[in-house]
Amino acid sequence: MADNANMTVEPAEAKLESPISIRMKLMWRAFKENWKIFSQSKIGMIGLYIVVIFAVAGFIVYPILAATVWKTTSLNAMVSYNPVTGYDFLQNNPAAPSWAHLLGTDPLGRDVLAQLLYSTPREFMLGIVAALITVIIGTLIGTVAAYFGGALDTFFMRLADIVLLFPFIPFLIVISGMMEVDLLTLALIIGLLSGFGGITIVLRSQGLIIKSRPFIESAKVSGASDAYIIVNHIIPNVMPLSFLYMMFNVTGAIFSEAVLSFFGLLNIKMSWGLMIYTADTAGYIIGSNIWNYWWLWLPSGASITLLCGAFYFIGRGLDEVVNPRLRKR
Amino acid sequence: MLKYIGNRILQIAILLVIYVAIVFFMLHAMPGGIKTLLISNPKLTPQAQESIIRAFGLNQPLWLQFVDYMKNVFTLNLGISFSYYPTPVWNIIAERLPRTVLLFTVATLIAFFVGFASGKSLAWNRGKTTEYVSTVVGIITYTIFTPLLIFVVIWFFGSFLGIFPLNQFLNPDLWIHTRLNAQVIFLYILMTMLIIGAVMLISYIMALRFSHKVMTRKMIFYLSTVISVVFSVFFWWVSPVGIYAADILWHMVLPVMTVTIISYAGNMLVMRDSMLETIKEDFITTARAKGLPDKVVRDKHAARTAMLPVVTNFVLSLGFVVSGGVITESLFSWPGMGMTLLDSTLAKDYPLAAGALIFTGIFVLIAHLVVDIVYAFLDPRIRY
Amino acid sequence: MRPILELRNLKMYYDTQAGQVKAADDVSFVLNEGESIGLVGESGCGKTSISMSIMRLLPENARIISGNIFFDGKDMVKLSNDEMNKIRWAGIAMIFQAAMNSLNPVYRVGDQIIEAITTHEPNVTFEEARQRVASLYKLVGLDPERMDNYPHEYSGGMKQRAVIAMSLACNPKLIIADEPTTALDVIVQDTILRELEKIQRKLNMSMIYISHDIAVIAEVASRIAIMYAGKIVEMSDSVTIFKRPAHPYTVGLMSSFPSIRGEKKELVTIPGEPPNLLNAPDHCRFAPRCPFATDECWKHMPSYAEVESNHFVACFHPQNLKKRVSANV
Repeated sequence: MADNANMTVEPAEAKLESPISIRMKLMWRAFKENWKIFSQSKIGMIGLYIVVIFAVAGFIVYPILAATVWKTTSLNAMVSYNPVTGYDFLQNNPAAPSWAHLLGTDPLGRDVLAQLLYSTPREFMLGIVAALITVIIGTLIGTVAAYFGGALDTFFMRLADIVLLFPFIPFLIVISGMMEVDLLTLALIIGLLSGFGGITIVLRSQGLIIKSRPFIESAKVSGASDAYIIVNHIIPNVMPLSFLYMMFNVTGAIFSEAVLSFFGLLNIKMSWGLMIYTADTAGYIIGSNIWNYWWLWLPSGASITLLCGAFYFIGRGLDEVVNPRLRKR
Repeated sequence: MLKYIGNRILQIAILLVIYVAIVFFMLHAMPGGIKTLLISNPKLTPQAQESIIRAFGLNQPLWLQFVDYMKNVFTLNLGISFSYYPTPVWNIIAERLPRTVLLFTVATLIAFFVGFASGKSLAWNRGKTTEYVSTVVGIITYTIFTPLLIFVVIWFFGSFLGIFPLNQFLNPDLWIHTRLNAQVIFLYILMTMLIIGAVMLISYIMALRFSHKVMTRKMIFYLSTVISVVFSVFFWWVSPVGIYAADILWHMVLPVMTVTIISYAGNMLVMRDSMLETIKEDFITTARAKGLPDKVVRDKHAARTAMLPVVTNFVLSLGFVVSGGVITESLFSWPGMGMTLLDSTLAKDYPLAAGALIFTGIFVLIAHLVVDIVYAFLDPRIRY
Repeated sequence: MRPILELRNLKMYYDTQAGQVKAADDVSFVLNEGESIGLVGESGCGKTSISMSIMRLLPENARIISGNIFFDGKDMVKLSNDEMNKIRWAGIAMIFQAAMNSLNPVYRVGDQIIEAITTHEPNVTFEEARQRVASLYKLVGLDPERMDNYPHEYSGGMKQRAVIAMSLACNPKLIIADEPTTALDVIVQDTILRELEKIQRKLNMSMIYISHDIAVIAEVASRIAIMYAGKIVEMSDSVTIFKRPAHPYTVGLMSSFPSIRGEKKELVTIPGEPPNLLNAPDHCRFAPRCPFATDECWKHMPSYAEVESNHFVACFHPQNLKKRVSANV
């Protein structure tokens, strides 16, 4: 198009868009399309609603409530209620639900609803951090193994086989018995243990499929480095699957944490599993009259079930997006 | 085929070694490893710490400890339990392992068949209310927090209905007057079950070889099964220790039921998905075109082929079922490996905890091997 | 020459979320005993729908709206599924497209054929069935020793032969071969076609060949029916179809592939695409692509009528006729 005779004319062509904005636009479009498919899956939407409800309850409602309704009028006048330590002297604990305490109190006199809401963001963080670590490790290993193949590939796949076979919870039990495990450490451990396991096998298969596509060839021919190809071509195409497995990993992480704290193995101050543990060790959950003190275990147990279930549902819903064969006609 | 089995056994053996090595690494080389834990008691004098270190060989170089450890584990020398001093760890484990094996195997088999059958019918008869209800029930049992389920089960069957005993392995009142060893009785029960299982397997194989008519085959199989079961029940009935065996079995019902409930849904959902995929295959249309009755197409062709991913999924979910088993055993005080693992950890009885962990791992590995072999039988493409 | 199969005004529609798809719209033809006819058309024109309707292997959302399918004198549309099961395979057998998947991978090939035999003839002993399979194998050119192999141990051509053997197992009066050779390479295709023709002549069986490849049909069928958009637009003996095609679509088909002999002509393609059968139009469906279309073609549906002896056309302007007969008023 170079027409030297007209060099005085201002170029009127549109400015070239930067690659990042193009990519953003494509991602936005892909997101909208996938959202349409996802929103058709009943089970996925139910999961999403539940997660949103919990998230709102934990991250928005609780802080508001803590700062307003639950301020204790005691010696420290402006201190808001701490469900870990706040003790209601006025009642016979554990007390049944009443207007003062919507879900009753636990054996130590603490408000059950506050405990529930206090733990919610922590469960979220645990689940998401653990799942994120798993997915990052899994994606890196899976794509690298798929791309380079050979001994590296075999090594990681054998490793994944071994990790897959490990009895997960027993391992966690013994580990938490040996060292002081708090929430962050637990997230790390769960993330690490799961990251090398089944997820790498799945992502590596997907990576192999991507690798065989022609655009990888062309990228190589145009001189892209291995790292560039992996980061910019393989990983983005593997991401939907990673995201899918992340949902299942959140379920597993929250569940594991609940089990461990239910057995009193964790060094944390408050979580849903711990609430049941408190009730159990104080002797309020004996077979014959579990319903007498239902608020001690049912809300927390139900929350664990619901939140775990919700992420699992989202995962199932995402399955249809990622796996077009499952879609209805 | 034999080559395939031999191959798998070798692989499992290697994995076992690696697994034990990892357990060792976890125990000794992690922060908060054995060394720290044993001597972290501030009341111990330096001399006491020294003697503990020497007794446990903790002052040796790590690789030497590793070699010693491996040697010990593979000769079943797992040390002496702290909380049951001076009983060796292996004795405790040997006593409790069969109980977990029994619980786990029975529950898993039932869960598999229930899941398989329900998934199969759900996929075949789509769009009815049963499908919706079954799926919802399946999902609830799949995602429910296990202790929650156990609380409800214990309450419902123990208190509300008052039928089944709520915990433990046997009723102490009943046994207090005899000098029978519960473990021995238990092992006999286990043996009976194994014999029945063997009879079923052999009669199945014999039936396949003997006749080609479906009716005859079914008759041979069901008849031998029924005969062996009736015979065993009769045998226990007239034996003087019968009621004690019955007591043990009675205590087994709730734990088995719980583990079945938490594991059947996984099988059912996978089977349903798998069936839906298989139904679309061409060979199903061909089977219909051949004029085969509906049930034959469903069972002989669709289900048989759809079963394969379920078996694979089963392998992957083994860890999950074992975890469920641990929780179940603890809450029902069923004295098996899971309860041992938990109690020993809480009691800081490291030799026992480590031993329990190793054996849980071995158990999973063997289960994996068995399922792999079963899969090879089911899918001829693997064999040839 | 008595008719073995007669379709009379068959209408079969699919109900989909988007509307009604008129897969087979008022289709009629007669097949005589010992005769072989070919059903030709593009993908989606309805040929497989017709074969599925004959066998009553329709999916849940397909319905036979009206019309009759007479087999050996009896109208099959009215039969129950159990009664159809007796006719399936023993009366009418089918050879499916891509035989690779027609065989169940977990059972031996011989056993699957024996299954067909014992279902329809329960008095046959296992040994007798095996012998029949052996002779069938010889008939199709397979080694009887390989009866006990699994499908994955066969090559593609072997699988196709096995499927053909299976279709003959119960000595059916009619065989529908749906694209029996599409998935095979040309050499094997040729061999299989010759075998099929030999077997058909030897056993005096009636056959319906379905294909989109008119060259294949020409070799094996004595009469050919051309289908377009759910309707049969022309039917006659093979020579007439090739030498004097009447329907403009057939004319286009004939000029669209090269002949080995004769002068080199430029290949003519038919512009446009087949119509969407979803809520198909009530006028001639070929009108958009027809070089001879007039107003009438856009207003009315041409009826399927005999314009010459044994030559049926559904067109307002049939070509190449020996005498100008106006077939449609």
